[in-house]
Amino acid sequence: MNKFFLVVALMVPAFAQDARQIMLDVQKRQHSDSQRYEGTLEVTSGNNQSTTKRWIYQRIGSFGNSKAILRFTAPAEVKGVGLLIVNHPDRASDQWMWRPAIGRDQRIALQDRSTRFFGTDFSFEDLEERDVDQYEYKLLADEGASWKIESKPRKSSQYEYSYFWVQKEHYNLVKIEAYNKKGLVRVIDYKNHELIKGIWTPRLTEVYDVTRKSRTILKYEKLEYNLPMKDEDFSLQALRRDL
Amino acid sequence: MIDAGALLLLTFLGQQFEQRGFIENRTVAYPQTAPNDSAHVVDEMLLREEASYKFTPWFTLSGAFDARSDSHRQTVRDWVVDADDRSILRPAFSVRRLSATIHKGKITAELGRQFIRWGKADILNPTDRFAPKDYLSNVVDSDFLGVTAARLTYESGGNIVDLVWQPWFSPSRTPLLNQRWTGLPPEAAGLSLIDAGANYPGGSQYGARWNHVGSGYEFSLCFFDGRQNLPSFDAILTPPDPSIEFTRTYPKLRLYGGDAAVPLPWLTIKGEAAYFTSETPGAEEYALYVIQLERQVKEWSFVAGYAGSIVTRDAASPLQFAPDRGFAKSFVGRAGLTIDANRSLALETAVRAEGSFVRFEYSQLFGQHWRATGGLAWIRGDMADFLGQYRRNSYASLALRYSF
Repeated sequence: MNKFFLVVALMVPAFAQDARQIMLDVQKRQHSDSQRYEGTLEVTSGNNQSTTKRWIYQRIGSFGNSKAILRFTAPAEVKGVGLLIVNHPDRASDQWMWRPAIGRDQRIALQDRSTRFFGTDFSFEDLEERDVDQYEYKLLADEGASWKIESKPRKSSQYEYSYFWVQKEHYNLVKIEAYNKKGLVRVIDYKNHELIKGIWTPRLTEVYDVTRKSRTILKYEKLEYNLPMKDEDFSLQALRRDL
Repeated sequence: MIDAGALLLLTFLGQQFEQRGFIENRTVAYPQTAPNDSAHVVDEMLLREEASYKFTPWFTLSGAFDARSDSHRQTVRDWVVDADDRSILRPAFSVRRLSATIHKGKITAELGRQFIRWGKADILNPTDRFAPKDYLSNVVDSDFLGVTAARLTYESGGNIVDLVWQPWFSPSRTPLLNQRWTGLPPEAAGLSLIDAGANYPGGSQYGARWNHVGSGYEFSLCFFDGRQNLPSFDAILTPPDPSIEFTRTYPKLRLYGGDAAVPLPWLTIKGEAAYFTSETPGAEEYALYVIQLERQVKEWSFVAGYAGSIVTRDAASPLQFAPDRGFAKSFVGRAGLTIDANRSLALETAVRAEGSFVRFEYSQLFGQHWRATGGLAWIRGDMADFLGQYRRNSYASLALRYSF
């Protein structure tokens, strides 16, 4: 056996690192029973018009079995507007919107899940938490500090495929490029990772809508994991209870 | 030490107290006069403050307060706070909401003046019986009024049971006889019309609703026993002067209804229907139903549907104010576009055999607090039609709102 074959033999396990296994590890390391943060969103449209919104996000459960309530706290005119997201392991999430001005929850009709959420660059689909098993993965490249992985959704999605960059050191997802049939749609960067309660967590997410040339920066404040939360606080009643 | 204590108290209060509000000026310009109204421009000013205080995680007190004025004598000019909000004119100061919410486990109870909304459709809600509206200054664009009630809600899994008891009656507020949103034929121009107020019924109202959320569908069944919040009018002719005195009355009403929403891959189907019976002699008995389709495409949202009615017993008197019936037998459509984080467009239309209505709105946010909304509404039709009677009420509007 010459030196060349030895090198190849050692390289094969590294390149054959199973992409799904990497994503499973990412999901495991991100696992928490609950999460809460206060988010500040700065939306800058293609013509440089800026607006700032704030919301409080709370989640119970994780990935395919989670429920989340997101409620705007600013600006004043949208304060109290809430969104309940019930994620399912086998299908797209159910979502209900609460608008205080109407005084009624409304089921969100989302045939086109690429619809932007409340003028931000997040689509409704981007707010869902999907389980690893809802995608097929392929390892495309080992780029030194990170892996580049292709993901294709098994269920209906606005995206045809996406490229994920996973940092090797802590298995952090650091970047996503999402493509539809026409090409690149959205670039999401996860930045400023910090270790919070044993979970490497980005403190900033930047979403760039390629088509609209619009950008949303979400800053996470007062972020906490595994807080005691009750399932009953993630219901339609809870959605309409608060101001 | 005192400063530290005060700071601590303020911090505590800050965490438990939430508020929002706005002040809005809305100007409506009517190119045409009406037989009972010569004004071309009406200006309305509204200050609304909503606040809640969470005493404990399970007990919250919520309140909302309105202060308003206008240029067209639609508001009482009196320094009195109205807690019932059931006067013929709008009160200058009113308690819109004042309620205590208690929730423990799967049960939520809300007691006091509050808003209760039933139904799933967006173009018309036949089952929405605890939601009177204020039609005084606009029949095609109205706001909801609160009701004083006790509401008990039990939610478990995908089931929600809602029980409501309303100890006293809250009517919808109707247009004034001497203003344009009371549609009068030209022949009535010479008559003296006297508004004799309302005979508010005593007794309580109650209702129950069961809502079930399943996998890929949602439906509810409901029951209501009480009064119609839209009035019939008793008219008395007083000779020798040709004057007519009108008094509002509110017939008994019992409702059996339901609604459903089914999201499909290409669109969402929503339906809502109710059958109304009445023990009041001469009151109409009828069914109202709505079927609507919704579709979201990028930043566009589309809603289109048909609202229908079937009368099983005719009313003895034609003098009714019934916008819910007026929008029945109509094709209704809405489209909305979110242009960006600050700007939006909306288009709404209702088309009946003898009348139609189209409204267009453009809205823009300036900075964090100011929003301007400009609109155009075009109403056409025959005088005998519910929409057509307002054919001289096409208007342009401009609303400027400061939210805080």
